[in-house]
Amino acid sequence: MARYESLIDTLGGTPLVGLPRLSPSDDVRLWAKLEDRNPTGSIKDRPALKMIEEAEKDGSLRPGATILEPTSGNTGISLAMAAKLKGYGLVCVMPENTSAERKQLLQAYGARIIFSEAAGGSNEAVRKAKELAKLNSDWVMLYQYGNPANIAAHYEGTGPELLADLPTITHFVGGLGTTGTLVGVGRYMQEAKPEVQIVAAEPRYGELVYGLRNLDDGFVPELYDPDVLSGRYSVGAYDALRRTRQLLEQEGIFAGISTGAVLHAALGMAEKAIARGQSADIAFVVADAGWKYLSTGAYAGSLDEAAERLDGQLWA
Amino acid sequence: MAVTVSIPTILRTHTDGEKSVEASGKTVAQVIDDIESRHGGLKDRLVKDEKLHRFVNVYVNDEDVRFVGGLEAEVTDGDTVTILPAVAGGMR
Repeated sequence: MARYESLIDTLGGTPLVGLPRLSPSDDVRLWAKLEDRNPTGSIKDRPALKMIEEAEKDGSLRPGATILEPTSGNTGISLAMAAKLKGYGLVCVMPENTSAERKQLLQAYGARIIFSEAAGGSNEAVRKAKELAKLNSDWVMLYQYGNPANIAAHYEGTGPELLADLPTITHFVGGLGTTGTLVGVGRYMQEAKPEVQIVAAEPRYGELVYGLRNLDDGFVPELYDPDVLSGRYSVGAYDALRRTRQLLEQEGIFAGISTGAVLHAALGMAEKAIARGQSADIAFVVADAGWKYLSTGAYAGSLDEAAERLDGQLWA
Repeated sequence: MAVTVSIPTILRTHTDGEKSVEASGKTVAQVIDDIESRHGGLKDRLVKDEKLHRFVNVYVNDEDVRFVGGLEAEVTDGDTVTILPAVAGGMR
């Protein structure tokens, strides 16, 4: 049935589609989980809605309250939609070097944006949000980097959906950010099908983003649990863009740039399986579609030019 | 055995401002020791109690070494070793 009571009720149950042209053989196949088919167009609807639901349940989020969140994009957009429908205020702390589309979308939903410095990327946004939370004790910080509801959303949703649609799954590849997707799906697979390899693809940005003043200002999300991972790969802008375009050209899927990084790692897994003569069913996440990144120039001109334009931006 | 090691901005004070340096060794630990012999001080920033510093990530050809043996991860001629501080990253 395709009828829902409200937009929020359309969460999850996203399609898993085969990639016959990108898959290297009949025995080593790639599958894309289209998370852009969520209420606001990204996988972040899952953790955002779950965090709100849990906070409502435990009484920390009451009618009329203001939500505070360090976010440079998709989580903010998800929260903004939910806040609008449920009557909450929303303050997003966001690095100034994010794409124009994200700022405009957040503002259209009525969210208030407080910018943090570009240098240091989301580290700065997290630091500033924690500071603001102390100063405004009536604001409710859901805090996606440390909120167990983020993991629960994927443990209860993304993981079971994947296994139901692809019982032969051998690998799951996801983007590493808050780590919620990988840890949630990873914990589910550990229990349901422990031989599934959980592979992280981490975006490697331009130098500006790593411009910490001190190494001890580094940041590892509180949710991170390396024990559920079997490998972790760092993917630069050039490879991410190359794969994002390849996905569009060969399979018709118009995805965001982080998906290119994830596909790059997934293809690496496929290559390894071929080299070992093993069969594999490799599922990966399409976290969002490409619309919000058009202004970055990711889809126009040569790869080198596009990669250069992304340098210093938070592209995933 | 030569590998190229890319150094993040925050640690270039130890490499006279060089973005990348050549080094030799069969493991990540040996590569770090080799750089240390020419650029003193770097090892102290990267290694604590014989383990990688919590906020330092090291990749051999883009693979995080923590999943392939940590400091004992193998490197071979022509590999690229990338050192980066751990950051929260992008569009969450």
